[in-house]
Amino acid sequence: MKTDAELVAGALRGSQDAYRELVKRFERPVYSLVLRMVQDPAAAEDLAQEVFLKAFRRLGSYDPQWKFSSWLFKIAHNTTIDHLRRGAPETVPLEAEEDDRGGLGAVLADGSAENPHATAERRDLARSLERAIARLRPEYRQAVLMFYAHGASYQDICEVTGLPLGTVKTNLHRARKELAQTMTSLGWGPDVGTAGETGRSAAS
Amino acid sequence: MRPSHQNALDRWLAAERGDRPEEAEVALVELFEALPLIAPPAGFAERVLARAGIQAVRRELFASRGVRLVLASCLVAIGLGALWLPPTLRALAGIWSVSDLVRGWVQALTGAARWLASLLRLWDLLLAFGRTLTQPLALPQVTALLLACLLASSLGFRFLRDQISGERNLTYVDPV
Repeated sequence: MKTDAELVAGALRGSQDAYRELVKRFERPVYSLVLRMVQDPAAAEDLAQEVFLKAFRRLGSYDPQWKFSSWLFKIAHNTTIDHLRRGAPETVPLEAEEDDRGGLGAVLADGSAENPHATAERRDLARSLERAIARLRPEYRQAVLMFYAHGASYQDICEVTGLPLGTVKTNLHRARKELAQTMTSLGWGPDVGTAGETGRSAAS
Repeated sequence: MRPSHQNALDRWLAAERGDRPEEAEVALVELFEALPLIAPPAGFAERVLARAGIQAVRRELFASRGVRLVLASCLVAIGLGALWLPPTLRALAGIWSVSDLVRGWVQALTGAARWLASLLRLWDLLLAFGRTLTQPLALPQVTALLLACLLASSLGFRFLRDQISGERNLTYVDPV
C-alpha cells in the first residue's frame, strides 16, 4: 500500500489513480468531520468536495514533513469554519430527520450483529451523542471531533486550528464537561438502569 | 453483558461526576472508538474528481515505438503478400474447376433427396400402423366400451378431487 506522500507525488505527476486513492482514503474522516460540524448532509457533501478540491489545487504547496491528514484537516477546518461564519444556520437536527440524513444515528442503527434491543440502545446513544456534539460551540466541537473521533493529538489540533496548546486543552476540557452535562440531561448516566429508554424519551 | 460503548459511556459520565479528568478522557476516547466514521454518499470520489476536472488519461495506442514498429512490419508483410495473391488464386482455380463445383452440388442434392425419400417411407409405415389401430374404433361395441371407460375415469377423478379438497377445507376437522 502506497504512503500518503507517495500518493501525493503521484497526483502531482498527474496520476488520476493517485487522486482517486487520496479521495477514497480520506473521504470518510473528512466527510464525518464536516457533517458533524455543519449538521446538514447536503452542505456537508458540498463542503467535503470543496475540501478535496482546495487540497488538489494546493497540492504543490504541501510539505511532506507534515502529516497529510493534518494538512487536509486544516483545510477542512478552515472550510467549515468559513461556512459557519458566513451565517449558515446552525441547527440541531429534529429527531425525525436523523434517519433520513444518514447521520450517526442511521449509521449506528445498522447493528446487524446485535439483538434488536442492543441496536435500539445503540441508536439512542448515537442520537444523543450527536445531539450533544451539535450543541457545542464550533471551536469546542472541532476539537472534540478531531481529538476523540479522529485520534488527532493536541499538537495536530494546534496546527490545524492555529490555537496555542493551553487553549486547545482548555477547549477540550470544557467541551467534555458540556458534553457530559448534555448527555446527563438527555437521560444517560451510570445510575440509570435503562438509559436507552430514558434517553429516548428525554431526547424526544 | 452490556455493549462496550455503553460501558464506556457509563464510566465517562461517572468519572466526570467524580471529577476524574484522566479517567473521563480515556472512557470518552473509548466511546468514540465504538462510533464508526460516516461514509459520504455513493459516488463521492467520482464527483470530486469530476469537479476537479481530472479526466482519465487516454492511453494512445500508437504512442509506443514498439507498437508502431510491429504495425509497420505487418503492413509490409501484407504488401508482399499481395504480390503473391494472383498466382495463388490462379493455382486454386486450377484445383477446383467449374465442373467440379457443379458435380459437388449435384451430389449434395442427390444425398438430400435420398434422405427425404427414406423419411417418407417411414412415414408411410407409421400411417399404416395407425390405420390398423383405429380400425376397431369404427365398431359400435368398441366405441361404447371406450365411452364407458371415459365415464368411469371421470367419476373416479371427481371422487379423488373431492377427497383432496375436503381435507384442505378450513372447516374440516381431523376426527382424532
